[in-house]
Amino acid sequence: MKSPNHQMIQCPREADVLDALASARWPNRVERELADHVASCAICTDVIAVASAMREDHDAAWREATIPSSGQMWWRAEMRARQDAVREASRPVAVAQGVAVVLVLAVAGAAGWFAWPSVHEFFTTTAQNQTTAFASPMLVPLAVAMGALLVVAPLALYVVLSEK
Amino acid sequence: MFTRELTASDIERVVLEAVDALQMDEDTFRAFYDRTARQVWAYLARITGDRTLADDLLQESYYRFLRAQRAFTSDSHRRNYLFRIATNLAHDRHRRAHGTTSVALPAEHEAGALSDGRDLAAETERRTDLARAMARLKPREREMLWLAYAQGSSHEEIAASLGLRKSSIKILLFRARRRLAAALGVRS
Repeated sequence: MKSPNHQMIQCPREADVLDALASARWPNRVERELADHVASCAICTDVIAVASAMREDHDAAWREATIPSSGQMWWRAEMRARQDAVREASRPVAVAQGVAVVLVLAVAGAAGWFAWPSVHEFFTTTAQNQTTAFASPMLVPLAVAMGALLVVAPLALYVVLSEK
Repeated sequence: MFTRELTASDIERVVLEAVDALQMDEDTFRAFYDRTARQVWAYLARITGDRTLADDLLQESYYRFLRAQRAFTSDSHRRNYLFRIATNLAHDRHRRAHGTTSVALPAEHEAGALSDGRDLAAETERRTDLARAMARLKPREREMLWLAYAQGSSHEEIAASLGLRKSSIKILLFRARRRLAAALGVRS
């Protein structure tokens, strides 16, 4: 048994009303009996109001639509599929390159960490002996150059190997 | 070794695979597009209330449709799936726009008559009222009403296009219709 609520959500004449609207018989050429029914049925009144407004808007949207041609759409889709395919295929390489850079930096960092006591000792000794005959104005640039070499050499090695 | 550069033959291979993997060949796609594109655009324009956004979503919908790895049993099945993609894209944009919906007011405002003799100004006013009323509905309600009354889709097609159960369409449609009728000033 249908509940009262269930009966309220639909009307058996709804399809007839929509048919009259679709065939352009509504409102001028529709059967009198259907017109009387719509006047007395809240659901069909809503259906007519909503469906006629939306059909009119649909026709307007149809007129105002400026869509690309099918050939243009196909071409764009094909181009994009190609670009996406290349990007997806390149992704594992990009990930590997990222991992390699991180590893090189980690190795350089570890090397610096272990070498630091010796370097520190070297500079301390040098500072203490600045007045000695071994002191030289070239010592600081030399130390900077060596430090730079420590960083640049692994990177250069990486670049050379990855290009192969 | 950590890296492997893509060679020209690798690129050629992946590109050919990507094009082969598209849902349909060019002729089939173009025929399908010509049958459906205006409907999809109209649907997107009205549910989002934004014609420019509808242009973007139209392209995205067809692209995703072409890349979908699915087997379709009929043209209707294919069409419903396309509308499903379009609907999901519109939902994503709606969420990103924090739930705001534009009101796509009619483009023509001049007085005059349409080719079939109807009064253009009166139609423009009715469409403006409809656009404002639609903007007050939930996205799901707009979609459902458009599919049902503008496109004349069946409950089964609406369910397939929106990813809903067919059994729930009747009540949801009733509620949406009642809300729109009320917003249009029709007593229910």
